[in-house]
Amino acid sequence: MELPRTAVAVLESCDAEEWRSIEELAATIDEPPETVTRAAFELADEGLVSVESETESTATLTAEGESYLDEGLPEVRLYTAVLDLLSDASDGAASVAIGDAVGVAGLDGQAVDVALSNFPRKYGAIEEGAIRPDPSADPDGDPEARALTAVADGAECDADTLDRLASRGLAELEEHTSQRVRRTEDGDRALDEGVEVADGVGQVTPALLSGGDWQDTDLRAYNVAADADPVHGGRTHVLRAMAERVTDVLVGMGFEEMQGPHVDAQFWINDCLFMPQDHPARTHWDQFALDAPDAIDDLPDDLVDRVREAHRTGVGEDGSGYHSPWDEDVARDLDLRGHTTSLTMRHLAGVAEADVEAPARFFSVEKAYRNDTIDATHLLEFFQIEGWVLADELSVRDLMGTFEEFYAQFGITDLEFKPHYNPYTEPSFELFGEHPETGELIEIGNSGLFRDEVLEPLGVEGDVMAWGLALERLAMLTTGAEDIRDLHGTLADLDFLRHAEVTY
Amino acid sequence: MPVVEVDPDELRVLAGREDRSDDDLRADLFALGLEFEGETPAGAFELEFAPDRLDRLSVEGIARSLRYHYGEARGVHIPSASPPDWRIIADPPADRPCITGAVVRGVDLDESSLASLIQLQEKLHATIGRDRAKGAIGIHDLTMMKGAAVADSAADVEEAADSVAQADPTDPADPADGADPTDPADPSEVSDADVADVGSAAEHATPESVPANAVHYTGVDPDGPSFVPLETDTEMTPADVLRDHPTGRTYADLVDDPVPALTDGLGLFSFPPVINGRRTEVTTDSRDLFIESTGTDQWTIDRMCTIVCYALTARGGSIERVTVDYVDDGRTLDRPDLETETKRVSHERIERTLGVDLRTDQVVDRLERSGLDGAVVETGDDEIAYDVTIPPYRVDVLHPRDVVDDVGRAHGFNELEPRYPDVSTVGGRHADSRRERAIRETLVGLGFQDCLNFHLTGIEETFHRMALLDEEPPTSATGIDAPSDANPLTDGSALGAAGPVTISEPYSAEYEIVRTWALPSLLQVLENNTHRAYPQHLSEIGLAAHVDPDAGPTGVAERQTVAGVLAATDAGYEDAKARVAALARAFDVDLATPPTDHPSFIDGRTAAVELDGQRAGVLGELRPAVLVEHDLEVPVAGFEVDAAALGGGE
Repeated sequence: MELPRTAVAVLESCDAEEWRSIEELAATIDEPPETVTRAAFELADEGLVSVESETESTATLTAEGESYLDEGLPEVRLYTAVLDLLSDASDGAASVAIGDAVGVAGLDGQAVDVALSNFPRKYGAIEEGAIRPDPSADPDGDPEARALTAVADGAECDADTLDRLASRGLAELEEHTSQRVRRTEDGDRALDEGVEVADGVGQVTPALLSGGDWQDTDLRAYNVAADADPVHGGRTHVLRAMAERVTDVLVGMGFEEMQGPHVDAQFWINDCLFMPQDHPARTHWDQFALDAPDAIDDLPDDLVDRVREAHRTGVGEDGSGYHSPWDEDVARDLDLRGHTTSLTMRHLAGVAEADVEAPARFFSVEKAYRNDTIDATHLLEFFQIEGWVLADELSVRDLMGTFEEFYAQFGITDLEFKPHYNPYTEPSFELFGEHPETGELIEIGNSGLFRDEVLEPLGVEGDVMAWGLALERLAMLTTGAEDIRDLHGTLADLDFLRHAEVTY
Repeated sequence: MPVVEVDPDELRVLAGREDRSDDDLRADLFALGLEFEGETPAGAFELEFAPDRLDRLSVEGIARSLRYHYGEARGVHIPSASPPDWRIIADPPADRPCITGAVVRGVDLDESSLASLIQLQEKLHATIGRDRAKGAIGIHDLTMMKGAAVADSAADVEEAADSVAQADPTDPADPADGADPTDPADPSEVSDADVADVGSAAEHATPESVPANAVHYTGVDPDGPSFVPLETDTEMTPADVLRDHPTGRTYADLVDDPVPALTDGLGLFSFPPVINGRRTEVTTDSRDLFIESTGTDQWTIDRMCTIVCYALTARGGSIERVTVDYVDDGRTLDRPDLETETKRVSHERIERTLGVDLRTDQVVDRLERSGLDGAVVETGDDEIAYDVTIPPYRVDVLHPRDVVDDVGRAHGFNELEPRYPDVSTVGGRHADSRRERAIRETLVGLGFQDCLNFHLTGIEETFHRMALLDEEPPTSATGIDAPSDANPLTDGSALGAAGPVTISEPYSAEYEIVRTWALPSLLQVLENNTHRAYPQHLSEIGLAAHVDPDAGPTGVAERQTVAGVLAATDAGYEDAKARVAALARAFDVDLATPPTDHPSFIDGRTAAVELDGQRAGVLGELRPAVLVEHDLEVPVAGFEVDAAALGGGE
């Protein structure tokens, strides 16, 4: 068996019968106690020695304690003074006035209080300003006085009395733990079989390499199973990593990324989406309206006219509009976008980039803002995954096929399509899928084919299917996070971020 | 989204399928798009659904849909309506110019059906009625009403008869050869003859007799007539109601002077849209009901009234028409509006949208199972379309596309086989997003924990706690003393000290603006993690924005900002500068760091970040005052730069 040099020394110098202290061993092998302790624990891990810890208290006198060592405890001095006074008295009195006794005892200051508070415990009664001593008390055998002396001499003394001294502030107790080591049977056997010093070099150094010594050097074995200090390197935020993953999937499926303004006119957020200005769906988003700035300068006039007509009279021969007012000022009001479908509208209208022509696929994974109540699953801002496909002809089946493909990438299969209502899509579906772990049926998105009332004013030729869902929802599903606030925002726990499992 | 409480037993009875278990019912309702949310303590289902099918806001309406779903009913059903005995003479106040009405006789109400009726009324108010502003409905006990005397009524009625709105008599839907319209509520109540002609509403439009009783809808002086409103037993004027009655106070904003009033021969009986009078309160003893609806849009209130009439016929009621005479323009309306509408839908559109081939008889079958009627028409060579009849309770059919959806639902969307579209496109990332990823990867490589903070924040956090402003927090953006045309990235003013985008009605003071810079967010993360191991090196790439009228149509300058902090016992300026230099090297831009001042950073330890000669941000050690404000006991060096200055993007 090979062991490091110190370990061999410790193993050899401890005994199979008797416990040896670390200090003893350190003195024997001439190594610092810390080194011996480390070696002893390493040997203990190997089962070659036993290590026993023992906690000892040592007491030292405080300055007050020291002073009583010479002068005697105040209560003893008081007792002695009282007895003196009584023996001098001729009238056979049994008590003495406090003032007289204190004077004779030569007590002053704090010592008076100390004497009076400890006296009744040991030496008699104090009543109505008079001291009545207990004649049978034994001041010479006072245990606290003896303990005081014993502590000063470093002698053993009774633990209870020591505690009493400590509580009186006359002594300080200090605990220390010391280890004792004894060789085990395995240790004996190892020694019998022969233990060699694993000589060698710990660290590979530049000198070792350049000098050529490495050729004749054994590199010492480490305890490779031991823990290393934690390192917190840089990490991509767990939700950003999820966004990257979604982006990878969508780009792989032929989708091109959209970006655009967070602050936008209601026109792009709501009106282009054929949401009537007085519809509950419009307050349903509960978007944040702005005080500053409050309105957009510029909207494309002809598009505004077409959108207004769609709202008022509908689109196509048999179309009917809403029976709701439509006011351009409302359309111009600026909001924080309640969904990133505003980007889709800007792209379909050809104001974000060049005119979009079929076939096209677009997506974004960007923030949207809603006036929700903050809780474990809702925040005021969230990442919306928005995707759409424009083609000459698209059916509900194409929509279903696209989503099956997308969600399958995240382990969500067996989609169900619940017919739903959105002002801007028809048919519309809420998407339900099986939770990858619990198997529960859960809502995972909202989708549909854009209405003619949305597409015609935008001048889009062809069919457009679109869907959206919250990235956070997907992340919570796939990471098992239970509180969205851990994932997003200034309340984030750094430990959570440092330890989150990577997403890829 | 509306939630409706429905007694499952009642639903089974009305739907004619008492054999369905609760689980069966829940599955059937899910297929209709009604989500089961839970049960009330009394055992009623709480059903949530999107606000399109307002005809399903009551148990009667849901039952009707289920009957179609089960195939118990097919095609359009129009209840019969008998000639009017009542008329409404309308001289309405300007801000509530429309009224409609109906009489329903012979209803049989118990506690539960009365509660359902009240719920329907409330849900209609909350949805299509826009909280009573656009339309409000009132239901009254007809036996407690007395017709008002009408001066020159014969002349009025003569005139009315001539100007009655005519329904489209060319309605092609002929149920005789297609649907078999069956009363979804109680087939025994209404004979086939009554419902045989879908277009019968057109005939009804001509009053056979002069309605003997009148109700007046007028604007009155709020301090004028008085009545005993519901939930009180004292006589009140409308002004009293608005001031002293809880319901009155709730809806006071909806009325002006003069206030809307309904009066009969006995005086004021309703103060729409606020409250009805006690005299005509509907109870379980009521048999004959007078229904009125007032509002700002005739179409809307007609639909509300029709939906209520349909629900009441399911309770055994029979509809009696009411004539509405508008005094000002002489219009006469025959109500309730039971006219159907027609939409032409091409066969090709249906097949294209559903992605399946269908025979015409299959399409007609799906239409009938949706409560519609479809007549096949040839529109050209080999081109077929359907003229589809839409019943008057459907408020959601705006376009032929909506009919296609009904066909799909009846066919069963989940029956369709998904297919991946045969469409080829080239995917790719946006230039800004590629740059953002490269910056993030570089910073993470430099050892930063990437953070993700809110874009919404508080004025206190953004300005005061960063020592950007000394005075008390302003109550709005206008209180922030930054020139509105300031561009903090170029004009030398302190980064972050710009007019913020400000929310009108914020959730709380912690979320009242869009952040003007990102360092305050990172300081907050440090503040919330003082118990975690140091060093803490945090970075974030995200949105910052400020008001800038020159920044384009929205007047908001939005930018991608890059911020980093280094918090450790030995963190200093050089550490931060080294990271910024590494970032600049990675993006091949020249970095210069001339000294500058910034209120958040220590004087003499603050530099402007210049990238390729352009001012792009700030770099330095945070002031002790800022650190102490954030409960930090370690030095923090930080930087923030504009991502665009690193090049690339758009």
